[in-house]
Amino acid sequence: MMTVNYLTAAVLIVLGLYCVISQKHLIKIVLGLGITDYGINLLIVSIGFNLGGTAPIYTLSDLMNGVSPVYFVDPIPQALTLTSIVIGACVDAMALALVIMIHRKYKTVDADEVRRLQG
Amino acid sequence: MKEFIVHFPVLAVMVLFLGAFLAEIFGFRSRIARRVILLSCVSVSAAMIFALIPAVFLRGEVLTYWMGAWEPAAGYAIGIGYEIDALGLFFALLVVTTFCLSAVYSLRYMERDRHLGHYTTLFLMLCGSVLGLVLTGDIFNLFVMVEIMTFAAVALTAFRGSSHGALEAAFKYLVIGSIGSGMTLSGIALLYLQCHTLNMAQLSAVLSGGLTPASVFALGLMTAGFGVKAFLVPFHTPAADAYTAAPSSVSMVFSGMVNKAGVYGLIRLVYTVFRAMDRESLQITLIVLGTVTMFAGVTMALAQHDFKRLLAFHSISQIGYVITAVSLGTVLGVSGGLFHAMNHTLFKGLLFLCAGAVYYAAGTTDLDRLGGLSKKMPHTTAFFLIGAFSIAGLPPFNGFASKWFIYQAAWSRAVSTGNFFYTVVTVTAVIVSVMTLASFIKVTQAVFFGQLPAQLSQVREVPLTMRIPMAVLSLGCLAGGLFYPFVSETLLAPAAKAVFTPSVYIDAMMGAGTAQAAGVTDAAAAALAVPGTWDPVLWLILLVIVLLAFFLVILTGEKTRGAVLDDGGQEDDGRYATFFGGERALPSHVSGSDLFWGFRKNWDGYFRIAQGLHSGRVNDYASYAVIGAVVLIIVIFLIFGFR
Repeated sequence: MMTVNYLTAAVLIVLGLYCVISQKHLIKIVLGLGITDYGINLLIVSIGFNLGGTAPIYTLSDLMNGVSPVYFVDPIPQALTLTSIVIGACVDAMALALVIMIHRKYKTVDADEVRRLQG
Repeated sequence: MKEFIVHFPVLAVMVLFLGAFLAEIFGFRSRIARRVILLSCVSVSAAMIFALIPAVFLRGEVLTYWMGAWEPAAGYAIGIGYEIDALGLFFALLVVTTFCLSAVYSLRYMERDRHLGHYTTLFLMLCGSVLGLVLTGDIFNLFVMVEIMTFAAVALTAFRGSSHGALEAAFKYLVIGSIGSGMTLSGIALLYLQCHTLNMAQLSAVLSGGLTPASVFALGLMTAGFGVKAFLVPFHTPAADAYTAAPSSVSMVFSGMVNKAGVYGLIRLVYTVFRAMDRESLQITLIVLGTVTMFAGVTMALAQHDFKRLLAFHSISQIGYVITAVSLGTVLGVSGGLFHAMNHTLFKGLLFLCAGAVYYAAGTTDLDRLGGLSKKMPHTTAFFLIGAFSIAGLPPFNGFASKWFIYQAAWSRAVSTGNFFYTVVTVTAVIVSVMTLASFIKVTQAVFFGQLPAQLSQVREVPLTMRIPMAVLSLGCLAGGLFYPFVSETLLAPAAKAVFTPSVYIDAMMGAGTAQAAGVTDAAAAALAVPGTWDPVLWLILLVIVLLAFFLVILTGEKTRGAVLDDGGQEDDGRYATFFGGERALPSHVSGSDLFWGFRKNWDGYFRIAQGLHSGRVNDYASYAVIGAVVLIIVIFLIFGFR
């Protein structure tokens, strides 16, 4: 069960990086970064998952009445994933904004032509 | 007061982030509000960091701070903690020095730009994130700070969107930076999987039980991730573009503290969290990385004809020195590396500010279009010469002192191990230093001496508020060289000691006895070796004598030097007359690209390959980063075994 998650995460990360390396279209490069990000998010959220575990939410009365929190999924990776998603969204937004400005200035979004700084 | 000082680390970070918000609200229209917010935030933050010096450096304490007072329960760190030991505070001091001077400089330097409210916001965010990064004790907080840093740095790179290449530099920086952050984040996730904690002190204690394959993988990923942030070869490609395209006050911040953040992360990771540096093969891996970085950086710098791009490649090269020295794994090596990191902040900041001053006054940083500015900008020229002497490692400036540490550390390893590899490293370090000097002779000649082009005859010296930061950095360069025993005793010795005593770091955070219970042992407390036998004062006298001799030669020379060239015309250009005309040669200006032409010609093949590799294509740069990371991870797996 979890092996599938880890494998999918690895596949997504590799696919995303492959996309960044091989695609010449700047927007596709941004998409590649996004895919890598999703792979990493999947990896983190899978780390905290326990098969059959409950949500890590207990009210005070639950705890007082002996509903013991013995088997629940780890909440920390979920918090990490949430942070990572937010950061990823910001990065994507900024990258796309840059692509728009590059398109305005260079009249192209081809990585082979956006290379005035070299050597 | 004594009680309140425990809040200083977190307040120093918060005041900067608060300022970032205030600048966006109030600094949008009002120039005065913007300046008040910028200067008050950076000065308050710097004052708080400086107030920590007595406790950490003089009394040797390790300060800790748990957010919301969530202290560890049952041996588990459940809150986010800040931990300030001598290593963290050492880097924090570099950070606050850099951003204070940069803020003062940017007041006038940026005055011709628009949207300065956004500039202030981004600048304060960048400062706050790097300061938070070096003070935090929580590895996920570290990642968040890295992300804010990258984000603000990318936006600042693109700030002058109309200037040459700023947008594409920002895009490349964002792509490579995100790959690096992604690797760091995956490494942190794997570490959490293994250790179920995010606190660096607790991680260090848990990892002393031995490294599983997942933690080895995490080490590889995070080493590569921080390598990207420190701009080591082959991850250095966005640095050259970003430093060139960003405004100079930002370039100074980049080379003064953003790449230091990567260096800090790397040191913290391999020395404190994983304590993996007792493996000589890992040391050698990082030394190879550092040596390649310093060599590739300096040779690429020789081929540049833009002032700031040249400085950018030198910045990469000097970080190579730092990484090489720090990876030597000896007290002398680590203190030399930290000393060089400090000096690099001072002299490279100074040089970037000089480049900014030249841009402010002359409107270009192209070496082939500049010349003879020493007559128009005498103060900037003097500051530049101090910076150039420092980076080239001329005595008595600070660059010489730290490079001497590094040569000595590498050479003593060569002697003690008998391994030829360390000899090669030492010789490379010396050769790179010579090439740095050659490169700066070229810049000095091309920008400040020689003939003044006619279109630059109206250039004037830059305003006072731009000269003050340069003067402060120049004094720092001189003081670091002349008073290095003092620097070494008060700053470097405690910081190096903090690197080699992870148990102190763990105990301060998790309670006394944790390190012992986890079986963490410190390396044998080696006294800081006496750094060489050179006397800075003697070297200073020698330098003065040599300079006097030069002045004598110049004063007795012909008086026709320094005339303004009439046009930049083709036929009458004096510099070709020497070679083709056969007439009396006029004093002619040798431009930046012409100096060392012969040297470059001999290495033509190498330069063609190296410049071809810096193709400007974002795909190529991304593939270097990915291939570099994969190779690094494989090497680290080979070192620690797959078990």
